Amino acid sequence: MLAHFWVAFVAFALAVVLGEWQMFVRSPLHAWISNPEHYYRSVTAHGTVMGYVMPTLVAMGFGYAITELALKQPLIGLRWAWGGFWMLIAGTVMAAATTAAGKASVLYTFYPPMIGSAFYYLGVVLVVVGSWVWVALMLVNLRAWRKANPGATVPLAMFGNVAGALLWFWTSLGAASEVLLLILPASLGLTDTINAGLARVLFSWTLHAIVYFWLMPAYIAFYTIVPRAIGGRLYSDMMGRVSFVLFLVFSMPIGIHHLFADPQVGAGFKFVHAVMTAMVSIPTLLTVFTITASVEIAARLRGGRGPFGWVKALPWDNPVMLALALSFVMLGFGGAGGLINMSYQMNETIHNTQWVTGHFHLIFGGAIVIMYMVIAYELWPQLTRSEPLPRGPVRLQLWLWFIGMMVLTMPWHLVGLLGMPRRMAYYDYSHPDIAPQAWTVIASVIGGFILLVSAVLFIAILARPRRTASPAPFTFAVSTHPDAPAPVALNRFGLWFGMMVALTVVNYGWPIVQIARLANAYVPVIPIGSR
Amino acid sequence: MPTEQNWSWNNAWVRWSVVSLVGLTIASLLVGFVWLPSQKADFAADGLWGAICRAAGVPTSWSRPSAAHEAAGTQVVLDRRMTHADDAVAIGRGATLALNCTMCHGALGTSSSNAPNLAGQFPEVIIKQLRDYASGARASSIMQAMARNLKSRDIDDLAAYYASLPQARTAPTTYDESLPKLVRVGDPMRNIPPCIACHGQVDQKIGAPWLEGMPRAYLAGQLAQFRSGQRRNDGEAQMRDVARGMTDDEIAEVSYFYARKAVAY
Repeated sequence: MLAHFWVAFVAFALAVVLGEWQMFVRSPLHAWISNPEHYYRSVTAHGTVMGYVMPTLVAMGFGYAITELALKQPLIGLRWAWGGFWMLIAGTVMAAATTAAGKASVLYTFYPPMIGSAFYYLGVVLVVVGSWVWVALMLVNLRAWRKANPGATVPLAMFGNVAGALLWFWTSLGAASEVLLLILPASLGLTDTINAGLARVLFSWTLHAIVYFWLMPAYIAFYTIVPRAIGGRLYSDMMGRVSFVLFLVFSMPIGIHHLFADPQVGAGFKFVHAVMTAMVSIPTLLTVFTITASVEIAARLRGGRGPFGWVKALPWDNPVMLALALSFVMLGFGGAGGLINMSYQMNETIHNTQWVTGHFHLIFGGAIVIMYMVIAYELWPQLTRSEPLPRGPVRLQLWLWFIGMMVLTMPWHLVGLLGMPRRMAYYDYSHPDIAPQAWTVIASVIGGFILLVSAVLFIAILARPRRTASPAPFTFAVSTHPDAPAPVALNRFGLWFGMMVALTVVNYGWPIVQIARLANAYVPVIPIGSR
Repeated sequence: MPTEQNWSWNNAWVRWSVVSLVGLTIASLLVGFVWLPSQKADFAADGLWGAICRAAGVPTSWSRPSAAHEAAGTQVVLDRRMTHADDAVAIGRGATLALNCTMCHGALGTSSSNAPNLAGQFPEVIIKQLRDYASGARASSIMQAMARNLKSRDIDDLAAYYASLPQARTAPTTYDESLPKLVRVGDPMRNIPPCIACHGQVDQKIGAPWLEGMPRAYLAGQLAQFRSGQRRNDGEAQMRDVARGMTDDEIAEVSYFYARKAVAY
């Protein structure tokens, strides 16, 4: 587990450096980068690490930790787990080396008909297959636990964990089939043409739910770490389960809202996907409500009074409390922006602009990653046999991450509304039309720098734990009615997994079959860096 | 131990979940495929079934394909195997065949006429252009007549021969701030990508020719033809899109830049 976290966070810190460099060379502070290829290489590496490697490793490491800590049984299949880990490392190294050599500047979303070196895609496939080992192990471990505890209610942390694993398995099939059936044959030179529309539809299968796979560890932390860490109780265990299964059902078959501007998908499906995307706001709001209620319990236990006065009684010096509040603020802004993204009509204003980059940095890089940091801080004493990490530096680090992320992303939202496209290596700030926007890019550079400082501080805090012979045992939050059994539907996954698959067939079946059968949807491959 | 069954219809969780999901799906399908399309004239033009098909993304064609339009585009699919041509036999055959070309293109692939330099040109570029001349996708009274009689192997061998000759580039170019702006960074506000994104330095895209040392009049002429749409054998209209926004001065500037290293023989 420790290995997973270390690799994840070191890769994360390096990718933060790349991100800040991208921001800097694109800003008026630096002359136009003469070779935009370097910019796209950097974007590809940044996206691949932040989108695939880091969150997958965190989810895996946290999943293994939950298995041992919540089920209170040693992990079954430890050797397999190491196998999966090394596959992930090998895949990362392959993808990173190919990208650095300039053979795969296709961004982490692949963008067919652009095709990079096969090694890049094989690297990504290894990362995904390595994570499937984890999915299988989570199911095996849960099954063993159920056998040992017949009829017992699965602990909420493990329930959310397995929901995340199942979600990831089903959602990764989209990009996996895109890579295996369409991209790799083209990349290996077996075909001259590629069905770019189909490839994009398959990628959208993965593209949105992957976000919820990233988000699951953060939500598990909301429900099972935060209430305990601030001295309260979880308001409702069942609400947590409902949120997790709703994510399972609704987060996957909605990805076509990423293709609102794609001509190959019909308007009817775009509308249906927009409606289903709106459904995802329900588990999010349920979570915000439940966690706020749990926090209120903590405040009232500490003597908080009045309809709002209890807020003052919260343990604000506790880093977990601070991180939760900062995370919710970013989740609020990011979520509001997300509602605009998913609205079929409003999306037109901001589609493919810097707004989108702002949105996902705020919600993933901000609201979710700050919770990853909390997870690391909370698990560290257990993993390294050390005392709790020093609160002062931790709080400073969390504040810096929050401030940096806000300073980085708010200007992006603004210029996105003004129409600044994303994924550009440079802008002509001397042009009168965009000269007034130059300051916003400088602001984002400053935000990026604050994030960089925060990331370095994060690594420094983790690198120097104070060892102790007897670390405090790790516990999960207790709910207000800890002994109430969950309804059987909320203790198992069959029903929800079945609903997810059925909804996928309805929402994706026809678009995939129809585009796959269009002869004129196949376009010539554009090899990148093949000379 | 709970007595309820997970998969039973008697389980209220199952009943309500399935009914709500099916209801939501049907309602959104009805709105997305029936009600909303019926409000749009172009969707509703072909009746209810037509509207549903359009909403489902079944492609329709608004214009009849005209014979002239179809013939104008290139039919050549670039294949990475075309980029490797170093077989000695092919080069030898190509050298013999190339005797037909020397009048305009010079004995060693460069000449002081305004015909393009072929020395060191990428093989797939020559293959594609010759095939386009042969099919009529690219127009030239001389080249179409020359290319029409070439067999597929002849074209490959000619490409191999010209690719084997040393390139006309005479001085190393440093790709720095001294390059013309369009060459180096393009003009994003007008959607003009930089030349060097495809024609060498940042990336050498497959099918994009080696430009350095090309005759200035040839380059300017081709850009003008792309701009007017007279030349249209760029498979994805990439050169037409680039040239459409360029002024005469800009065409002259980039043509001068790529031509300035030409050596007169």
